[in-house]
Amino acid sequence: MIRMEVALILILCLVAILYFSTFRQKNTLHNIFSVLLVVVLINLIFDAITIYTVNHLDTIPALINEILHRIFISSMIVAVYLFYKYISVLTQPDKKRNRIPVFILILCIFSALVLPIHYVETSQGNYSYGPYVFVVYICVFLYLCLCIFCLLKNYEQLTKKERAVIGFALMVEFIVCVIQVIQPITLISGMGLTLMTLSFYLTLENPAYLQGQLVEQKMSMLYLKSQVNPHFLYNTLDTIRIQAQLNGDKEVSNLLMRLVDFFRLSVKVDRQMVALDDEMDLLEAYIELMCYRYPQIECEYEVDPELGDKLVPNFICQPLVENSFLHGLKNKGYKGKIKIKAFLVDSNFMEIQIQDSGNGFSVEKKEQVDSMLKNYAKQEFRLDGNSIGLLNVQKRIKLLCGEESGLSYTQDENGTVAHIRLSIEQEKI
Amino acid sequence: MKKLNVLLVDDEIIIRQGFIKLFDWQAHDCQVIGQASDGLEALSKIDELKPDIVIMDINIPIMNGLKVIELSRIKHPDTAFVIVSGYDDFSYCRQALKLKITDYILKPVNYEEFGNCIDNLKISLFESKKENKDSQQKDRMIVSITKYLQNHLQEDVSLNVLAQEFHLNAQYISQLFKSEIGVGFLTYLTNIRIEHAKKLLLSTDDAISDISDQCGYNDYRVFTKVFKKKEGITPSQFRRDFLKGE
Repeated sequence: MIRMEVALILILCLVAILYFSTFRQKNTLHNIFSVLLVVVLINLIFDAITIYTVNHLDTIPALINEILHRIFISSMIVAVYLFYKYISVLTQPDKKRNRIPVFILILCIFSALVLPIHYVETSQGNYSYGPYVFVVYICVFLYLCLCIFCLLKNYEQLTKKERAVIGFALMVEFIVCVIQVIQPITLISGMGLTLMTLSFYLTLENPAYLQGQLVEQKMSMLYLKSQVNPHFLYNTLDTIRIQAQLNGDKEVSNLLMRLVDFFRLSVKVDRQMVALDDEMDLLEAYIELMCYRYPQIECEYEVDPELGDKLVPNFICQPLVENSFLHGLKNKGYKGKIKIKAFLVDSNFMEIQIQDSGNGFSVEKKEQVDSMLKNYAKQEFRLDGNSIGLLNVQKRIKLLCGEESGLSYTQDENGTVAHIRLSIEQEKI
Repeated sequence: MKKLNVLLVDDEIIIRQGFIKLFDWQAHDCQVIGQASDGLEALSKIDELKPDIVIMDINIPIMNGLKVIELSRIKHPDTAFVIVSGYDDFSYCRQALKLKITDYILKPVNYEEFGNCIDNLKISLFESKKENKDSQQKDRMIVSITKYLQNHLQEDVSLNVLAQEFHLNAQYISQLFKSEIGVGFLTYLTNIRIEHAKKLLLSTDDAISDISDQCGYNDYRVFTKVFKKKEGITPSQFRRDFLKGE
């Protein structure tokens, strides 16, 4: 018997290590699961210890044996309570809790600590018995009812996965309990608790799922930030622009005009792939604004009009041009030239080039960028950092245009060139 | 030619102010004769003032701009409507085109470029007047010149070519355009070329370079540039945006 307990302890230790090393969202559900993991582990440890002591009644002092058993039973009650708590938060996250379950918990623990205990000796081994054990059965029964109530009441709101895992856990709890009542010597409570913990860990608490939740949360925050009604924005900016022009300030009004253009175009683009013309419009609006801020930067375009309706992944040029302004030309005191080129390479590929006359990358940084762009698939998906823009562009190009397309950088004494190689797909209307 | 009367409809006073003060109406032979800030007021002002041109915002109180145009069209078939809208949405645009509006411009309005819009208006007013048979002798000259231009769009026509064709002084023909239509010869020529191009873009599958040829542009890069300057979008964008969703 004791071998199984040791195996269970090892499995749960592994789960605990994996779980606590994953960065997760801070919420009640995950907090409860953390506590639950610890409590079940403690319960398993005492389970193992009591299996040993109960079979050595002659050598272990009676008091120690009794204390160990009472701790074991109490921790089991706490674990069962925590399962209930987890399921209740999972099924109805916003509900105000009432005090009855906590009251049951305190009552059960108290009973388990004071009610009489005795030991039964059989040929297969010894076990503890008496009123203090019945407390556990009553407790499991009560919480099982509460859990089933939670599950049925909120059945519609739950996902398939949640329904399945709650159903499975409750089934295990029930079967284990019945076997234990009929055949007390089986001593499989530890196995039951481990199975239930594992079922939650593998579905709702596993590292991939937790990470997914985190990313989703961050993304939705980013999304909410950009949720100002665009019409409100244009209209207000436009009113300010007209007022500025009425006041005779032509420059402010010009700047605002370009800003409105940029916003209008960037909101309009809601597809993955856009015509090169659309991408260039957005880029022009952006460059005009930047050139206004840094008047010593010149910009030139050389775009083959034949390519105007070819589809390209949206928003791939702007981050690169932004790099040219803010990194390439910054150290030259924002003086220099940016040139945008788009031309046909052969019948299957086109290339967009973004050249700047800036200082380029340091040798170290260049290697870093090259390796990052080459091994783009192995890079962690990060939401911050300097190179995230480049990595993001590279990933989107590879995803949308295929492996043979992609972004690369070359540089010489004249400056830096970003090459975007794209496969050409005939436009489908 | 007589001054064109303009009615401004927009619910924001500052936008009307902008139109009145920031665009040189005088230089374009126009005058603003009234303003309205909602759909109902616009309807009654159109009836009362009988403007040649109505500059109309779509999103106005009580009755939207498109509805006002629809209702006014019946009583005033000759009025030219220009829609100015912040809704960068081609469903509005298509709906508006069904009402035979003269032009559709998007906010923010660039007052320097608004002159192009007025030029377009004058040309379309002239084109619709051309249908009218009771024109005077002098009118007929400009009518036949413009008909000649329509038929020779593909060729390299210039004032000198016209002068030879019609046995007139080039200078005189230039003046004729200014006084009869209100725009210069080149503006007129570009306008009808681009209008023709738009028709071809929507009604045929021809490549942009072929359409460019058919409209008298030897270099389609030049054509694309001119088109974009006039329409705000490139020919391929124009074709795609208008055919999309139909």
